[in-house]
Amino acid sequence: MSALPLPEQDGGGRYPGFRTLDQGPHWDAVTRRTVQRRLDPPRRVGFFDDHELATCRALVDRLLAQDGEPRIQVEVMIGQRLAAEETDGWHYDDMPIDAEAWRRSMAGLDDDARLIANADFAEATVAQQRAVLGAVQDLRMSPWHAMPATHIWGLWTRYAATAFYAHPWAWDEIGFSGPAYPRGYKNIGIGKREPFEVADTRADEDPVGA
Amino acid sequence: MAGVAFDAGPFWDPDADWVSDEAGSHTLYWTDPRVISGSSPVPLGSNNSGRGVGGSMVHFAGYAPRFHPSDFRTASVDGVGADWPLDYAELRPYYERIEAELPVAGEHWPWGDPHGYPHRPHPVGGNGEVMQRGGLAAGIDVRVGPVAIPNGRFGHRPHCIYRGFCLQGCKVNAKASPLITHLPDALAHGAEVRADSMVTRIGYDERTGLATGVHYVRDGVERFQRAALVAIAGYSIETPRLLLNSTSPRFPDGLLNDHDLVGRYVMVQGAPQTAGRFSEEIRMWKAPPPEVSTEQFYETDPSKPYQRGFSVQTVSPLPITWAEHVAAQGHWGADLRRYMSDYPHWAVLGSLCEFLPLPGNRVTLASMTDRFGMPVADFHYDQCDNDRQLLAAAQEVMERILEGAGATETMTIQRFAHLVGGARMGATERDGVVDRDGRSFAVRNLMISDGSILPTQGSANPALTIMALAARQAERLLHP
Ligand SMILES: Cc1cc2nc3c(=O)[nH]c(=O)nc-3n(C[C@H](O)[C@H](O)[C@H](O)COP(=O)(O)OP(=O)(O)OC[C@H]3O[C@@H](n4cnc5c(N)ncnc54)[C@H](O)[C@@H]3O)c2cc1C
Ligand code: SF4
Repeated sequence: MSALPLPEQDGGGRYPGFRTLDQGPHWDAVTRRTVQRRLDPPRRVGFFDDHELATCRALVDRLLAQDGEPRIQVEVMIGQRLAAEETDGWHYDDMPIDAEAWRRSMAGLDDDARLIANADFAEATVAQQRAVLGAVQDLRMSPWHAMPATHIWGLWTRYAATAFYAHPWAWDEIGFSGPAYPRGYKNIGIGKREPFEVADTRADEDPVGA
Repeated sequence: MAGVAFDAGPFWDPDADWVSDEAGSHTLYWTDPRVISGSSPVPLGSNNSGRGVGGSMVHFAGYAPRFHPSDFRTASVDGVGADWPLDYAELRPYYERIEAELPVAGEHWPWGDPHGYPHRPHPVGGNGEVMQRGGLAAGIDVRVGPVAIPNGRFGHRPHCIYRGFCLQGCKVNAKASPLITHLPDALAHGAEVRADSMVTRIGYDERTGLATGVHYVRDGVERFQRAALVAIAGYSIETPRLLLNSTSPRFPDGLLNDHDLVGRYVMVQGAPQTAGRFSEEIRMWKAPPPEVSTEQFYETDPSKPYQRGFSVQTVSPLPITWAEHVAAQGHWGADLRRYMSDYPHWAVLGSLCEFLPLPGNRVTLASMTDRFGMPVADFHYDQCDNDRQLLAAAQEVMERILEGAGATETMTIQRFAHLVGGARMGATERDGVVDRDGRSFAVRNLMISDGSILPTQGSANPALTIMALAARQAERLLHP
């Protein structure tokens, strides 16, 4: 079961007792080290200053509905990536490079929050933060602080989802079995599971119907 | 004669360098900066280009279909695209050889030039079963394969363990890439590979009109390697970039660019992916993503308003890529988490639509420079009307298959896959940068041996064709 708090109506607790990390001894050493490092991100972030880090944390917590503890330190993982210039290898011609876009967008979120909440983004209420973000998403191709809103939205969600769904706690919550070398899988096919995989207890919970 | 191959990236040791993990595989991709532009900009990086010895096949999915005979003459037959300066029959023996050397596994292939495969089809996982079931229900013919993953004994190659990380580099060494299929032989026969060596310019001698070798940077030091013959194989973005960056009094607009063809007619395939939701558990991440495909819609259908066609294949994204699919529908926050918790219930199909070669879809040099001081590539892309019609038709077919299999809901994301073109082959120097043997028209000891020479792309994945063309070039060098 995932260490992350997730209410049942948001898909929490569907795979009771499933813990990807229990399979760690079956992973190759290089992969195990890579995954282990994510459990314990170092304090040093290196890209954001303290204020930006708080803004980024509030942003990714809303994007990923991380509303309680324990949580995955997505903002730290993003800061480390930006410090190491680990980009995806492209940027739109109507956007600055990723690092610059992140910095400008942190300032932009503060500007927006001050307008509706009279506070910096990180200090605004969760509902106010959601409202600010919803407004950015609704702008689509229109500019937001001189960047096409859809491109900044895509940048945020791409970095946030990459960090979050790289974490074994997130895998537990979605039933994903994680690394699979050298063990591999022996039961493939519809409705088939490995002995360590856990069946979804709420298979009829189509997210659309929810 | 001695040969040296240069690669900007590392000489991989799969066991020490690769992981069975999605985010941890970031280093496999070409992630130096590039600018993307146009009305339909194409994301690069992990989406389509590799860096390191073995090239993009290190992390390609593994589909290894041939092109169809019709691909070689779309201009004369369909009135779109371009005719190739060689035909299918001339490439067939090389397709057969490469299929045996990778080797390729799959069912008998009924489309294009019908043929069999050296290895039997692999068993399929949940996603493959969905496609088979849906194809049957919708009256669409589907086949297992063709994949560059041996199924049976093949030298020292271990068997696939169905763990689904093909796009992260096959640590098992089951999936083919030149790193394990052809380079070991080349090294055993005296070839040298100089890894971590970024080629920045091709040397050119004004007096002889010949290429003299390559300028490259290794360990921060600029060096030059003399050569009697130079073959460029940097793929559709880097090959044009390298040529455009190699200027001289004779070639002020870039090497080989006499007729303004270098960097033009770059193509990507429109690759929408449609996901279907099932009450059963599919667990699509188990088994290689490339499992089952159909080429029933590959050629021009005279009853349709568009020319040429598309293929449909299983794709099976891992969690991060799947989260992108879900987020692209506009889901975020609690919505995103709820959708993601449903991961085991989804199956995903992908299409490859034959976007047409357009002169304006091109690589140019941007004002920004990289860490070597070399201008980065700007990749501009627009779609034409035929492209957009194919996207809609492909989505409709994927929905039919998934609904035929019992999907209660579908959702589609628009994306692109594969790159070809940018230094196309042609019958004359006005049609192409290189001739049918990969030799450039303007500098006779300079060849291009990668995907950038393809004049059209069909709706097949390109790697097998790129390898077959390179094998044919090598043969023509030995026996002109
Ligand atoms: C995620 C993904 C999935 C794919 N799936 C499939 C599939 O299932 N089937 C299929 O057929 N195709 C697939 N492809 C596409 C396929 O991998 C490529 O079309 C093919 O490998 C390209 O071969 P190439 O020889 O033209 O170039 P590459 O294999 O890309 O080789 C270019 C090499 O040149 C090096 N290089 C570039 N510039 C320089 C320079 N200036 N100096 C030194 N070295 C340089 C690079 O580091 C690289 O190693 C996929 C691609 C991706 C990214
Ligand atoms: S599924 Fe098979 S071919 Fe693909 S990476 Fe795993 S072992 Fe290699």
